[in-house]
Amino acid sequence: MKIIREQTSPVVVGMAMMGLAFLTAPNLAAAQTATPTPSSVTGVAAFNPPPCDYNDTFYMDNGLTPTDVVGRFGTSRLTGPPATGKQVNWVADSTCSQRDPDRRNFRILAITGGFPDDETGSPTEFITILGFVTNQTAFETTYSRNVGAINGGLDGDQQNPGETISIVNSANPRSISMQNLVSNFEAYPAPRQRLANGKIALNPCQADMVSPLAPAQPCFDLSTVNAVFTPNLRQDWRFATNRNAIDGSDNNCISNDPTVCTPPGGSGTAPPQSDSPFGYFCDDLLGMWINSYFWYTVDPANPGKVCGPILKQLGQQNGLTADGTPIVTTGDQLDNQLEANGCAAEGQLAFDGSDGGAIWLVCPAIPDPRAGAISADAFLDQVHNNNGTPQNIGLTLNFLSLQRFGVFFTQLTAAQQSQINTAEAAVN
Amino acid sequence: MPNAKRVSRRDFNKLAASTAAVGPFFLLSGRARAAQKTLKIAKWSHFVPQFDPWFDNLAREWGQQHDTQVTVENIPVEKIAAAATAEVKAGKGHDVFIFPWPPAQFYQHAVDHTEIYQHVAGKYGAIPQIAYRSTYNFKNKKHFAFADFWAPSPLHFRQDYWAKIGMPLGPGHYGSLYSGGKHLRDEFHIPCGLAFTPTLEGNITLHTMLYAFRAWILTGNDEVVFNKNVFAGVALKYLLQLYREAGTPDQLGWSPGGSVSAMVAGKTSCAINAISLLRAAEAQDPQTAGNIWLQQPLLGRSGMGITALPHVTNCAVVWSFGQNQDEAKQFVADLIDSSRAGYASSLGFNFPTYPKTVPDLIVRLSKDPQANPHDKYVVLKDALHWTPNLGVPGFATPAFMEVFNGFLIPKMVQRVLKGESSPEDAAAAAATEIQRIADKWQQIT
Repeated sequence: MKIIREQTSPVVVGMAMMGLAFLTAPNLAAAQTATPTPSSVTGVAAFNPPPCDYNDTFYMDNGLTPTDVVGRFGTSRLTGPPATGKQVNWVADSTCSQRDPDRRNFRILAITGGFPDDETGSPTEFITILGFVTNQTAFETTYSRNVGAINGGLDGDQQNPGETISIVNSANPRSISMQNLVSNFEAYPAPRQRLANGKIALNPCQADMVSPLAPAQPCFDLSTVNAVFTPNLRQDWRFATNRNAIDGSDNNCISNDPTVCTPPGGSGTAPPQSDSPFGYFCDDLLGMWINSYFWYTVDPANPGKVCGPILKQLGQQNGLTADGTPIVTTGDQLDNQLEANGCAAEGQLAFDGSDGGAIWLVCPAIPDPRAGAISADAFLDQVHNNNGTPQNIGLTLNFLSLQRFGVFFTQLTAAQQSQINTAEAAVN
Repeated sequence: MPNAKRVSRRDFNKLAASTAAVGPFFLLSGRARAAQKTLKIAKWSHFVPQFDPWFDNLAREWGQQHDTQVTVENIPVEKIAAAATAEVKAGKGHDVFIFPWPPAQFYQHAVDHTEIYQHVAGKYGAIPQIAYRSTYNFKNKKHFAFADFWAPSPLHFRQDYWAKIGMPLGPGHYGSLYSGGKHLRDEFHIPCGLAFTPTLEGNITLHTMLYAFRAWILTGNDEVVFNKNVFAGVALKYLLQLYREAGTPDQLGWSPGGSVSAMVAGKTSCAINAISLLRAAEAQDPQTAGNIWLQQPLLGRSGMGITALPHVTNCAVVWSFGQNQDEAKQFVADLIDSSRAGYASSLGFNFPTYPKTVPDLIVRLSKDPQANPHDKYVVLKDALHWTPNLGVPGFATPAFMEVFNGFLIPKMVQRVLKGESSPEDAAAAAATEIQRIADKWQQIT
């Protein structure tokens, strides 16, 4: 697997340094422009397109009914969380479908930051939450579309039956149901547990999710998609990044034996197939995730003898949320430190929609956030402290670096980093 | 998929040819060459009825090819452990003993099977992880068995039932298994059908669920970790809730295969089992079979992802006290050449340990002639990636397998579900017993 995060080729770094001379002062006032500006990355070839919503056909081709996508960018949620003030979450952009025919002409400005699931806790993940799925019935059971059929030609002799994209019994042409596929990719939202009355709730209100480790009441509510809006989260997201290579370098085959696995278009003797597990960029083409909500089952003000030292250590390491609970950045922290000792729990919403809320996200990760993927008018959707400052300054710095220079913060020169620090201070 | 009751001529010729091509890599002793040889095989009775007659013929024809009188005794799964123990105690019995799980407890009475793996590597590649971790004793650094196939444990669910409650694609995760299962029982009086019995299916089901809740038994170093965190207690409380609000008392009393019969009869809404369940439905009631759908295992918690333990890990052991070890090793080594036919004869139950032996597995899964629809089994495409070995996160060690074969986990769960013990007390008692077993094996070199 090729890791793109924080691995920058010398060419890109060199291009970034060459571009330093052309660096202009960040035009924060231009953040609302609807004009596509992928070439605005200073000094770096802006070959990565900024994110846009998928078109209806692409949703349907991939087993999801677009009208069942709740809060879909381009159709709704123009303003409001994550946008604040005069910000808008998306803009009309006629170049989206030109760059990628599977997209519709709404470009996403709200770029949500998070942590990858590689145990580094690095603030390097950037995604776009296009919408929410709140019921299993959003996955298509039957669908059929023929593509590429030709009936005609100059002499009427050009004939091609085309290919049929079909959903039968909820399974795609590879006989895989979208629901099964998406369940392989977990996103971890952390709902706020501090209630309006100041009390901390240690379980969700959804009865089937209640952990036996804590009292069921008082509870925090997950029954609407608003529960995963950034202002309602106590910390930034984490995404299980069990992905295959995006550049095809692994050919989506686990076995190197050509008699066992032949990738599409490959030259092995095995029937064309993939023997690898589902890959995010290879299979989950809508970029969907299942939400695994996680929460503390102890009051941070009175965590007890077992959880007290764990919370204290994690708080010192990662900082605290507005709830007063430690920030969690890795699976090890959540699973082996908190959950193993009864300090936290996790769960998913019922697939029949009876719990309400966002069961799944249509939330494609930006494959490579460098080199133009973060446009000049995009804004970072991240969790803030009560005083308005970003909870994770690393996300802010990376976002601004990607937006201005097309590379991650650590890949900037000292002078560039200084400029980003200044910009960050100005923004926040 | 052919219903192969006999070894086809093509299969047999292929087997014979491959054997001839590679040659006998075990040098037969002078005694063995002197006269008509014998080879006595004991194996667990396969859950797919068509398989055993095919295997019997395979063994017989192998014997003819090797001038060996071969006999095969098929033993019900629930009697396998006792039969093997009796042979070990007597120091005599069969030459090859084939278990449905890793027989780690018998490692002192098995030859080192490393040479078989080395031989097979020449044709099919290095030992796969699931075989390695199921048959390797890291204390004496020997393989106590040879694993040639395994069986995944998908979730079977009645699609027509689950569709009634708005989950036509199945529950997907343990939370929805509970909420949907409760809904189905409350409204339609159809209980969830997971086996909680001291049987193979109960053992696999419950070990899978504990593992999916991160309630591990032993660590990779064979240290007891069960109940040293909250996961076991949380899992037991979940099981209690699932049983009380979505289950049936039958779940505690089924004999082997009981959960299969219940689901085929339409009495339950779901089960964790090998595909022999669906095959049984296809044979007995095609209409019901059409309503039974397969799903990848339920999404676990605490970072465990989608996972289920293998329903079967087919492990052949050549006893160290066997009288015909050379022939036994040769037979076991040659067995791998028939994996493709074995897959067909088991109606897709036997997933090859060595993928190269059935290179078109995914194509076969997507075009199953008996399935309705024909691509129903393709959900198993990724089975190797969600199936760890018994003993995970460690190896299939003697301590783990004694826990497994002693049905400690089903017994613990039953005490909780019957109200005889609280989840906390049951977990603590089980942990004590697991520790005793682990300590015992620590003393044995």
